Amino acid sequence: MDNKTRYGFIKDEKGWEEFLKRERIRDYSQVHVPAARMKTWTKAAFLFLRIYIIVMVALIILGFLHVL
Amino acid sequence: MSNFDINAKLNELPIDMRRRAIDRLEIARLRRSKRGIAKLMLFLALLGPGILVMIADNDAGGVITYAQSGSIFGIGFFIPLLVLMIPVAYMVQEMTVRMAAVTRRGHAEMIWRRYGSFWGAFSLADLLIANSLTLVTEFIGITFGLAVFGVPPVAAVAAGAAFITTITLTMRYHTWERASLIVAFINLIFIPLVLFAHPDWSLVASTFLTWHINGGFRPLFIYILLANLGTTIAPWMLFFQQSSEVDKGTVLEDLKSGRRDTLIGAVVMSVVAISIMVFAGTLVFNPGISANVTTAAYDLGNILSVVASKVGMLPVKLFAIGLVDAGLISAIALTASTSWAVGEAFRWPKSINLPFMEGRKFYIPGLVAVFIAAGIVLIPHLPLSFLNITVQVIASIFMPAALLFLLLLVNDKEIMGPHVNRRWENAAIIAIMIVLISMSGLYGISLVFPHILGV
Repeated sequence: MDNKTRYGFIKDEKGWEEFLKRERIRDYSQVHVPAARMKTWTKAAFLFLRIYIIVMVALIILGFLHVL
Repeated sequence: MSNFDINAKLNELPIDMRRRAIDRLEIARLRRSKRGIAKLMLFLALLGPGILVMIADNDAGGVITYAQSGSIFGIGFFIPLLVLMIPVAYMVQEMTVRMAAVTRRGHAEMIWRRYGSFWGAFSLADLLIANSLTLVTEFIGITFGLAVFGVPPVAAVAAGAAFITTITLTMRYHTWERASLIVAFINLIFIPLVLFAHPDWSLVASTFLTWHINGGFRPLFIYILLANLGTTIAPWMLFFQQSSEVDKGTVLEDLKSGRRDTLIGAVVMSVVAISIMVFAGTLVFNPGISANVTTAAYDLGNILSVVASKVGMLPVKLFAIGLVDAGLISAIALTASTSWAVGEAFRWPKSINLPFMEGRKFYIPGLVAVFIAAGIVLIPHLPLSFLNITVQVIASIFMPAALLFLLLLVNDKEIMGPHVNRRWENAAIIAIMIVLISMSGLYGISLVFPHILGV
Protein backbone atom coordinates (compact mmCIF):
# COMPACT_ATOMS: atom_id res chain seq x y z
CA MET A 1 0.00 0.00 0.00
CA ASP A 2 1.53 3.38 -0.98
CA ASN A 3 1.61 6.35 1.36
CA LYS A 4 -1.18 8.15 -0.49
CA THR A 5 -3.60 5.27 0.15
CA ARG A 6 -2.22 4.33 3.55
CA TYR A 7 -2.49 7.84 4.94
CA GLY A 8 -5.56 8.82 2.94
CA PHE A 9 -7.10 10.35 6.07
CA ILE A 10 -4.97 13.41 5.29
CA LYS A 11 -6.88 14.72 2.32
CA ASP A 12 -5.53 18.20 1.66
CA GLU A 13 -3.06 20.93 2.57
CA LYS A 14 -5.17 21.99 5.59
CA GLY A 15 -5.25 18.42 6.93
CA TRP A 16 -1.48 18.16 6.50
CA GLU A 17 -0.83 21.41 8.37
CA GLU A 18 -3.19 20.28 11.14
CA PHE A 19 -1.30 16.99 11.37
CA LEU A 20 2.07 18.77 11.62
CA LYS A 21 0.69 21.11 14.27
CA ARG A 22 -1.04 18.38 16.29
CA GLU A 23 2.03 16.15 16.24
CA ARG A 24 4.33 19.14 16.80
CA ILE A 25 6.67 17.83 14.13
CA ARG A 26 8.29 21.23 13.54
CA ASP A 27 8.46 22.20 17.25
CA TYR A 28 11.40 19.91 17.78
CA SER A 29 14.08 22.36 16.70
CA GLN A 30 12.35 25.65 16.22
CA VAL A 31 10.44 26.71 19.33
CA HIS A 32 12.38 29.00 21.69
CA VAL A 33 12.74 27.91 25.33
CA PRO A 34 12.89 31.03 27.54
CA ALA A 35 15.15 31.34 30.59
CA ALA A 36 13.40 30.72 33.93
CA ARG A 37 12.44 33.60 36.21
CA MET A 38 14.15 32.76 39.49
CA LYS A 39 11.69 32.70 42.37
CA THR A 40 12.81 32.74 45.99
CA TRP A 41 12.39 29.02 46.50
CA THR A 42 14.22 28.30 43.23
CA LYS A 43 17.13 30.44 44.42
CA ALA A 44 17.05 28.58 47.75
CA ALA A 45 17.13 25.23 45.94
CA PHE A 46 20.16 26.28 43.90
CA LEU A 47 21.91 27.56 47.02
CA PHE A 48 21.32 24.17 48.67
CA LEU A 49 22.67 22.48 45.56
CA ARG A 50 25.85 24.59 45.53
CA ILE A 51 26.49 23.81 49.22
CA TYR A 52 25.79 20.11 48.63
CA ILE A 53 28.22 19.98 45.71
CA ILE A 54 30.96 21.78 47.65
CA VAL A 55 30.54 19.37 50.60
CA MET A 56 30.58 16.31 48.33
CA VAL A 57 33.62 17.49 46.33
CA ALA A 58 35.45 18.17 49.62
CA LEU A 59 34.51 14.67 50.82
CA ILE A 60 35.79 13.10 47.62
CA ILE A 61 39.12 14.97 47.78
CA LEU A 62 39.52 13.94 51.42
CA GLY A 63 38.54 10.37 50.55
CA PHE A 64 40.98 10.03 47.69
CA LEU A 65 43.76 11.59 49.74
CA HIS A 66 42.93 9.02 52.41
CA VAL A 67 43.03 6.15 49.89
CA LEU A 68 46.28 7.35 48.28
CA MET B 1 -10.13 12.68 -6.45
CA SER B 2 -7.81 14.96 -4.44
CA ASN B 3 -4.55 16.17 -5.99
CA PHE B 4 -2.93 16.31 -2.57
CA ASP B 5 0.39 14.44 -2.65
CA ILE B 6 1.54 13.38 0.80
CA ASN B 7 4.87 12.11 -0.53
CA ALA B 8 5.70 15.57 -1.90
CA LYS B 9 4.79 17.11 1.46
CA LEU B 10 6.94 14.61 3.33
CA ASN B 11 9.86 15.34 1.00
CA GLU B 12 9.65 19.04 1.86
CA LEU B 13 10.60 18.25 5.47
CA PRO B 14 14.22 17.84 6.68
CA ILE B 15 15.10 14.14 6.84
CA ASP B 16 14.84 13.72 10.64
CA MET B 17 11.42 15.43 10.72
CA ARG B 18 10.33 13.44 7.67
CA ARG B 19 11.15 10.15 9.32
CA ARG B 20 9.41 11.21 12.52
CA ALA B 21 6.40 12.39 10.51
CA ILE B 22 6.18 8.96 8.83
CA ASP B 23 6.27 7.25 12.23
CA ARG B 24 3.57 9.58 13.53
CA LEU B 25 1.42 9.10 10.43
CA GLU B 26 1.50 5.39 11.15
CA ILE B 27 0.46 6.01 14.78
CA ALA B 28 -2.38 8.26 13.57
CA ARG B 29 -3.49 5.57 11.08
CA LEU B 30 -3.52 2.87 13.77
CA ARG B 31 -5.46 5.17 16.12
CA ARG B 32 -8.18 5.61 13.52
CA SER B 33 -8.57 1.90 12.87
CA LYS B 34 -11.24 -0.05 14.75
CA ARG B 35 -9.63 -3.45 14.08
CA GLY B 36 -8.25 -5.46 16.98
CA ILE B 37 -4.94 -6.10 15.22
CA ALA B 38 -4.51 -2.33 14.71
CA LYS B 39 -5.05 -1.77 18.44
CA LEU B 40 -2.39 -4.37 19.20
CA MET B 41 -0.02 -2.78 16.66
CA LEU B 42 -0.65 0.64 18.24
CA PHE B 43 0.06 -0.74 21.71
CA LEU B 44 3.35 -2.23 20.48
CA ALA B 45 4.31 0.86 18.46
CA LEU B 46 3.94 3.11 21.51
CA LEU B 47 6.15 0.89 23.68
CA GLY B 48 9.82 1.78 23.75
CA PRO B 49 11.65 4.35 25.87
CA GLY B 50 10.11 3.24 29.19
CA ILE B 51 10.97 -0.43 28.73
CA LEU B 52 14.40 0.38 27.31
CA VAL B 53 15.40 2.71 30.13
CA MET B 54 14.28 0.29 32.84
CA ILE B 55 15.89 -2.82 31.35
CA ALA B 56 19.06 -0.88 30.52
CA ASP B 57 19.15 0.07 34.20
CA ASN B 58 19.67 -3.64 34.97
CA ASP B 59 23.16 -3.21 33.53
CA ALA B 60 26.25 -5.35 34.07
CA GLY B 61 26.97 -3.61 37.38
CA GLY B 62 23.34 -4.04 38.43
CA VAL B 63 23.35 -7.76 37.60
CA ILE B 64 26.47 -8.23 39.71
CA THR B 65 24.94 -6.22 42.57
CA TYR B 66 21.74 -8.33 42.57
CA ALA B 67 23.73 -11.58 42.45
CA GLN B 68 25.92 -10.45 45.35
CA SER B 69 22.90 -9.28 47.36
CA GLY B 70 21.20 -12.67 47.01
CA SER B 71 24.40 -14.58 47.70
CA ILE B 72 25.30 -12.68 50.85
CA PHE B 73 21.89 -11.87 52.37
CA GLY B 74 19.51 -14.34 50.75
CA ILE B 75 16.08 -13.18 49.68
CA GLY B 76 14.54 -12.16 53.03
CA PHE B 77 14.94 -8.40 52.72
CA PHE B 78 15.73 -7.53 49.13
CA ILE B 79 12.76 -9.07 47.30
CA PRO B 80 10.17 -6.87 49.05
CA LEU B 81 12.55 -3.93 48.60
CA LEU B 82 12.76 -4.51 44.84
CA VAL B 83 8.97 -4.64 44.62
CA LEU B 84 8.83 -1.33 46.50
CA MET B 85 11.24 0.15 43.98
CA ILE B 86 8.69 -0.32 41.16
CA PRO B 87 6.62 2.77 42.14
CA VAL B 88 9.79 4.70 42.96
CA ALA B 89 11.30 4.11 39.51
CA TYR B 90 7.94 4.68 37.84
CA MET B 91 7.21 7.99 39.55
CA VAL B 92 10.61 9.46 38.78
CA GLN B 93 10.65 8.35 35.14
CA GLU B 94 6.99 9.32 34.53
CA MET B 95 7.96 12.94 35.08
CA THR B 96 10.40 12.75 32.17
CA VAL B 97 7.66 11.33 29.90
CA ARG B 98 5.32 14.17 30.87
CA MET B 99 8.00 16.80 30.37
CA ALA B 100 8.95 15.38 26.97
CA ALA B 101 5.30 15.32 25.83
CA VAL B 102 4.65 18.89 26.99
CA THR B 103 7.92 20.62 26.05
CA ARG B 104 9.21 18.41 23.19
CA ARG B 105 12.67 19.05 24.60
CA GLY B 106 15.33 16.83 26.16
CA HIS B 107 16.41 17.07 29.80
CA ALA B 108 19.85 18.57 29.07
CA GLU B 109 18.33 21.22 26.83
CA MET B 110 15.72 22.20 29.39
CA ILE B 111 18.32 22.61 32.17
CA TRP B 112 20.62 24.60 29.87
CA ARG B 113 17.96 26.92 28.51
CA ARG B 114 15.92 27.42 31.70
CA TYR B 115 18.67 27.64 34.33
CA GLY B 116 21.63 28.95 32.34
CA SER B 117 24.95 27.74 31.06
CA PHE B 118 26.55 27.19 34.50
CA TRP B 119 24.04 24.54 35.59
CA GLY B 120 23.74 23.29 32.02
CA ALA B 121 27.48 22.77 31.72
CA PHE B 122 27.63 21.22 35.21
CA SER B 123 24.89 18.71 34.39
CA LEU B 124 26.36 17.91 30.99
CA ALA B 125 29.92 17.43 32.26
CA ASP B 126 28.73 15.23 35.10
CA LEU B 127 26.56 13.16 32.76
CA LEU B 128 29.33 12.71 30.19
CA ILE B 129 31.91 11.64 32.77
CA ALA B 130 29.47 9.25 34.49
CA ASN B 131 28.26 7.81 31.16
CA SER B 132 31.80 7.26 29.86
CA LEU B 133 32.91 5.53 33.05
CA THR B 134 29.73 3.45 33.25
CA LEU B 135 30.41 2.35 29.66
CA VAL B 136 33.71 0.95 30.90
CA THR B 137 31.84 -1.20 33.44
CA GLU B 138 29.50 -2.40 30.64
CA PHE B 139 32.50 -3.53 28.59
CA ILE B 140 33.87 -5.28 31.66
CA GLY B 141 30.55 -7.19 31.88
CA ILE B 142 30.62 -8.02 28.16
CA THR B 143 34.22 -9.26 28.40
CA PHE B 144 33.49 -11.32 31.54
CA GLY B 145 30.37 -12.88 29.99
CA LEU B 146 32.00 -13.78 26.68
CA ALA B 147 35.04 -15.21 28.52
CA VAL B 148 32.71 -17.99 29.76
CA PHE B 149 32.47 -19.04 26.08
CA GLY B 150 36.22 -18.79 25.59
CA VAL B 151 36.19 -15.48 23.73
CA PRO B 152 39.42 -13.53 24.34
CA PRO B 153 39.04 -9.99 25.78
CA VAL B 154 40.22 -8.17 22.64
CA ALA B 155 37.69 -10.02 20.46
CA ALA B 156 34.92 -9.49 23.06
CA VAL B 157 35.55 -5.75 23.29
CA ALA B 158 35.83 -5.38 19.50
CA ALA B 159 32.61 -7.33 18.93
CA GLY B 160 30.78 -5.30 21.59
CA ALA B 161 31.97 -1.96 20.17
CA ALA B 162 31.12 -3.03 16.61
CA PHE B 163 27.61 -4.11 17.67
CA ILE B 164 26.88 -0.85 19.50
CA THR B 165 28.28 1.24 16.61
CA THR B 166 26.23 -0.67 14.03
CA ILE B 167 22.97 -0.27 15.95
CA THR B 168 23.64 3.43 16.56
CA LEU B 169 24.76 4.42 13.08
CA THR B 170 22.76 2.33 10.66
CA MET B 171 19.20 2.75 11.91
CA ARG B 172 16.64 5.50 12.10
CA TYR B 173 14.83 6.02 15.44
CA HIS B 174 12.03 3.53 14.88
CA THR B 175 14.29 0.65 13.81
CA TRP B 176 16.89 1.57 16.46
CA GLU B 177 14.15 1.38 19.10
CA ARG B 178 12.83 -1.97 17.81
CA ALA B 179 16.37 -3.43 17.59
CA SER B 180 17.14 -2.19 21.10
CA LEU B 181 13.89 -3.73 22.38
CA ILE B 182 14.97 -7.10 20.93
CA VAL B 183 18.31 -6.78 22.74
CA ALA B 184 16.39 -5.80 25.88
CA PHE B 185 14.10 -8.82 25.46
CA ILE B 186 17.11 -11.15 25.73
CA ASN B 187 17.64 -9.68 29.21
CA LEU B 188 14.56 -11.67 30.26
CA ILE B 189 16.78 -14.78 30.11
CA PHE B 190 17.35 -14.21 33.83
CA ILE B 191 13.68 -15.03 34.55
CA PRO B 192 13.63 -18.73 33.45
CA LEU B 193 17.15 -19.09 34.87
CA VAL B 194 15.61 -19.08 38.32
CA LEU B 195 13.98 -22.46 37.60
CA PHE B 196 17.43 -24.12 37.62
CA ALA B 197 17.73 -23.16 41.28
CA HIS B 198 14.45 -24.91 42.26
CA PRO B 199 13.60 -22.21 44.82
CA ASP B 200 11.07 -22.75 47.58
CA TRP B 201 8.31 -20.45 46.27
CA SER B 202 6.46 -20.44 49.58
CA LEU B 203 9.64 -19.06 51.15
CA VAL B 204 9.85 -16.42 48.43
CA ALA B 205 6.21 -15.44 49.04
CA SER B 206 6.72 -15.36 52.81
CA THR B 207 9.41 -12.66 52.50
CA PHE B 208 6.59 -10.15 52.00
CA LEU B 209 5.13 -11.09 55.39
CA THR B 210 8.31 -11.55 57.36
CA TRP B 211 10.49 -8.87 55.67
CA HIS B 212 13.68 -9.30 57.65
CA ILE B 213 17.43 -9.09 57.22
CA ASN B 214 19.20 -12.45 57.21
CA GLY B 215 22.15 -12.20 59.56
CA GLY B 216 20.82 -9.01 61.13
CA PHE B 217 21.62 -5.34 60.60
CA ARG B 218 25.34 -4.84 60.06
CA PRO B 219 27.66 -2.49 58.15
CA LEU B 220 27.84 -4.71 55.06
CA PHE B 221 24.06 -4.69 54.84
CA ILE B 222 23.99 -0.88 54.58
CA TYR B 223 26.56 -1.07 51.81
CA ILE B 224 24.56 -3.65 49.84
CA LEU B 225 21.29 -1.76 50.46
CA LEU B 226 22.82 1.44 49.14
CA ALA B 227 24.20 -0.37 46.11
CA ASN B 228 20.72 -1.73 45.32
CA LEU B 229 19.11 1.71 45.63
CA GLY B 230 21.90 3.19 43.51
CA THR B 231 21.26 0.69 40.73
CA THR B 232 17.50 1.35 40.62
CA ILE B 233 17.53 5.05 39.79
CA ALA B 234 20.44 6.64 37.97
CA PRO B 235 20.89 10.15 36.54
CA TRP B 236 21.40 8.99 32.95
CA MET B 237 17.92 7.44 33.02
CA LEU B 238 16.28 10.87 33.31
CA PHE B 239 18.24 12.24 30.35
CA PHE B 240 17.77 9.08 28.27
CA GLN B 241 14.03 8.69 28.60
CA GLN B 242 13.17 12.34 28.07
CA SER B 243 15.34 12.61 24.94
CA SER B 244 14.11 9.25 23.68
CA GLU B 245 10.46 10.28 24.09
CA VAL B 246 11.20 13.51 22.22
CA ASP B 247 12.97 11.69 19.37
CA LYS B 248 10.15 9.14 19.21
CA GLY B 249 7.67 12.01 18.78
CA THR B 250 5.68 11.56 22.00
CA VAL B 251 2.98 14.22 22.36
CA LEU B 252 0.32 14.79 25.01
CA GLU B 253 -2.04 12.38 23.28
CA ASP B 254 0.53 9.62 23.96
CA LEU B 255 0.94 10.40 27.65
CA LYS B 256 -1.20 7.49 28.79
CA SER B 257 0.71 5.00 26.64
CA GLY B 258 4.03 6.56 27.70
CA ARG B 259 3.05 5.97 31.32
CA ARG B 260 2.00 2.40 30.52
CA ASP B 261 5.34 1.80 28.77
CA THR B 262 7.20 3.12 31.83
CA LEU B 263 5.13 1.02 34.24
CA ILE B 264 5.68 -2.16 32.20
CA GLY B 265 9.41 -1.36 32.13
CA ALA B 266 9.53 -0.82 35.91
CA VAL B 267 7.74 -4.14 36.56
CA VAL B 268 10.00 -6.03 34.13
CA MET B 269 13.09 -4.43 35.67
CA SER B 270 11.99 -5.57 39.10
CA VAL B 271 11.07 -9.10 37.97
CA VAL B 272 14.49 -9.55 36.33
CA ALA B 273 16.27 -8.22 39.42
CA ILE B 274 14.20 -10.48 41.72
CA SER B 275 14.95 -13.49 39.48
CA ILE B 276 18.70 -12.89 39.74
CA MET B 277 18.39 -12.47 43.49
CA VAL B 278 16.31 -15.63 43.97
CA PHE B 279 18.71 -17.57 41.72
CA ALA B 280 21.79 -16.51 43.69
CA GLY B 281 19.96 -16.51 47.02
CA THR B 282 18.82 -20.11 46.57
CA LEU B 283 22.06 -21.55 45.19
CA VAL B 284 24.81 -19.51 46.85
CA PHE B 285 23.41 -18.00 50.07
CA ASN B 286 24.53 -19.90 53.15
CA PRO B 287 23.28 -18.45 56.44
CA GLY B 288 25.84 -20.47 58.36
CA ILE B 289 28.91 -18.76 56.90
CA SER B 290 27.70 -15.40 55.73
CA ALA B 291 27.87 -13.51 59.02
CA ASN B 292 31.37 -12.09 58.59
CA VAL B 293 31.90 -12.15 54.84
CA THR B 294 32.92 -9.25 52.60
CA THR B 295 31.82 -8.42 49.06
CA ALA B 296 35.28 -9.47 47.83
CA ALA B 297 34.54 -13.06 48.89
CA TYR B 298 31.43 -12.97 46.72
CA ASP B 299 32.69 -11.62 43.42
CA LEU B 300 30.90 -12.85 40.32
CA GLY B 301 33.54 -15.46 39.52
CA ASN B 302 33.10 -17.07 42.93
CA ILE B 303 29.31 -16.92 42.71
CA LEU B 304 29.29 -18.63 39.29
CA SER B 305 31.74 -21.29 40.53
CA VAL B 306 29.29 -22.23 43.30
CA VAL B 307 26.42 -22.23 40.79
CA ALA B 308 28.40 -24.49 38.41
CA SER B 309 29.25 -26.92 41.22
CA LYS B 310 25.57 -27.23 42.21
CA VAL B 311 23.61 -27.15 38.94
CA GLY B 312 26.20 -27.48 36.17
CA MET B 313 27.47 -25.19 33.43
CA LEU B 314 24.23 -24.57 31.49
CA PRO B 315 22.84 -22.00 33.99
CA VAL B 316 26.28 -20.38 34.15
CA LYS B 317 26.29 -20.02 30.36
CA LEU B 318 22.76 -18.60 30.39
CA PHE B 319 23.79 -16.17 33.13
CA ALA B 320 26.82 -15.16 31.03
CA ILE B 321 24.54 -14.50 28.02
CA GLY B 322 22.36 -12.33 30.27
CA LEU B 323 25.42 -10.45 31.53
CA VAL B 324 26.67 -9.76 27.99
CA ASP B 325 23.19 -8.63 27.00
CA ALA B 326 22.92 -6.38 30.07
CA GLY B 327 26.21 -4.74 29.08
CA LEU B 328 25.10 -4.32 25.46
CA ILE B 329 21.65 -2.84 26.11
CA SER B 330 23.04 -0.42 28.70
CA ALA B 331 25.89 0.57 26.39
CA ILE B 332 23.39 1.26 23.58
CA ALA B 333 21.32 3.44 25.93
CA LEU B 334 24.34 5.26 27.39
CA THR B 335 25.71 5.98 23.90
CA ALA B 336 22.39 7.48 22.79
CA SER B 337 22.03 9.39 26.06
CA THR B 338 25.49 10.95 25.57
CA SER B 339 24.77 11.97 21.98
CA TRP B 340 21.35 13.42 22.78
CA ALA B 341 22.67 15.43 25.75
CA VAL B 342 25.56 16.96 23.75
CA GLY B 343 23.29 17.71 20.79
CA GLU B 344 20.71 19.37 23.03
CA ALA B 345 23.27 21.42 24.94
CA PHE B 346 25.10 22.81 21.90
CA ARG B 347 22.06 23.11 19.62
CA TRP B 348 23.58 20.52 17.32
CA PRO B 349 21.51 17.99 15.39
CA LYS B 350 19.95 15.67 17.97
CA SER B 351 18.10 12.81 16.41
CA ILE B 352 18.75 9.15 15.71
CA ASN B 353 16.61 9.77 12.60
CA LEU B 354 19.58 11.54 11.01
CA PRO B 355 21.90 9.64 8.65
CA PHE B 356 25.52 9.72 9.80
CA MET B 357 26.77 12.46 7.45
CA GLU B 358 23.95 14.89 8.34
CA GLY B 359 24.12 14.04 12.04
CA ARG B 360 27.82 13.34 12.57
CA LYS B 361 28.09 15.99 15.30
CA PHE B 362 25.30 14.13 17.10
CA TYR B 363 26.75 10.64 16.74
CA ILE B 364 30.43 11.35 17.36
CA PRO B 365 30.28 12.17 21.13
CA GLY B 366 28.49 8.91 21.95
CA LEU B 367 30.76 6.81 19.77
CA VAL B 368 33.91 8.49 21.10
CA ALA B 369 32.76 7.52 24.60
CA VAL B 370 32.25 3.91 23.40
CA PHE B 371 35.72 3.67 21.85
CA ILE B 372 37.44 5.27 24.84
CA ALA B 373 35.63 2.85 27.19
CA ALA B 374 36.52 -0.11 24.94
CA GLY B 375 40.16 0.96 24.91
CA ILE B 376 40.31 1.44 28.69
CA VAL B 377 39.01 -2.09 29.36
CA LEU B 378 41.94 -3.52 27.39
CA ILE B 379 44.56 -1.72 29.49
CA PRO B 380 46.48 -4.39 31.43
CA HIS B 381 46.25 -4.27 35.24
CA LEU B 382 43.40 -1.78 35.11
CA PRO B 383 42.48 -0.56 38.62
CA LEU B 384 38.88 -1.77 38.32
CA SER B 385 37.89 -1.12 41.92
CA PHE B 386 39.18 2.45 41.72
CA LEU B 387 37.23 2.94 38.50
CA ASN B 388 34.10 1.53 40.07
CA ILE B 389 34.50 3.86 43.05
CA THR B 390 34.84 6.85 40.74
CA VAL B 391 31.70 5.89 38.77
CA GLN B 392 29.64 5.51 41.93
CA VAL B 393 30.92 8.71 43.53
CA ILE B 394 30.13 10.79 40.45
CA ALA B 395 26.68 9.21 40.21
CA SER B 396 26.11 9.89 43.92
CA ILE B 397 26.95 13.57 43.51
CA PHE B 398 24.93 13.95 40.37
CA MET B 399 21.75 12.20 41.52
CA PRO B 400 20.48 14.94 43.87
CA ALA B 401 21.27 17.60 41.27
CA ALA B 402 19.48 15.66 38.53
CA LEU B 403 16.42 15.07 40.73
CA LEU B 404 16.33 18.69 41.84
CA PHE B 405 16.38 19.93 38.24
CA LEU B 406 13.69 17.42 37.39
CA LEU B 407 11.48 18.61 40.25
CA LEU B 408 12.04 22.30 39.40
CA LEU B 409 11.28 21.76 35.72
CA VAL B 410 8.21 19.61 36.23
CA ASN B 411 6.74 22.21 38.62
CA ASP B 412 7.51 25.11 36.28
CA LYS B 413 4.06 26.39 35.22
CA GLU B 414 5.58 28.55 32.49
CA ILE B 415 6.67 25.48 30.55
CA MET B 416 4.44 22.71 31.95
CA GLY B 417 1.15 24.63 32.17
CA PRO B 418 -1.56 22.43 33.71
CA HIS B 419 0.75 19.39 33.60
CA VAL B 420 2.81 20.39 36.65
CA ASN B 421 3.02 17.89 39.49
CA ARG B 422 0.05 17.60 41.81
CA ARG B 423 0.65 18.09 45.54
CA TRP B 424 0.66 14.40 46.40
CA GLU B 425 3.08 13.76 43.53
CA ASN B 426 5.44 16.43 44.83
CA ALA B 427 5.15 15.05 48.37
CA ALA B 428 5.95 11.53 47.13
CA ILE B 429 8.82 12.70 44.92
CA ILE B 430 10.31 14.85 47.70
CA ALA B 431 10.14 11.86 50.06
CA ILE B 432 11.86 9.70 47.42
CA MET B 433 14.42 12.47 46.87
CA ILE B 434 15.23 12.73 50.56
CA VAL B 435 15.74 8.96 50.82
CA LEU B 436 17.77 8.79 47.61
CA ILE B 437 19.84 11.87 48.47
CA SER B 438 20.59 10.49 51.93
CA MET B 439 21.36 7.04 50.59
CA SER B 440 23.35 8.28 47.60
CA GLY B 441 25.33 10.61 49.83
CA LEU B 442 25.94 7.84 52.35
CA TYR B 443 26.88 5.48 49.53
CA GLY B 444 29.33 8.04 48.13
CA ILE B 445 30.85 8.51 51.57
CA SER B 446 31.02 4.74 52.11
CA LEU B 447 32.90 4.32 48.84
CA VAL B 448 35.59 6.86 49.61
CA PHE B 449 35.71 6.00 53.33
CA PRO B 450 34.99 2.23 53.25
CA HIS B 451 36.09 1.71 56.88
CA ILE B 452 33.05 3.74 58.03
CA LEU B 453 30.76 0.90 56.99
CA GLY B 454 33.30 -1.81 57.63
CA VAL B 455 33.35 -3.15 54.07
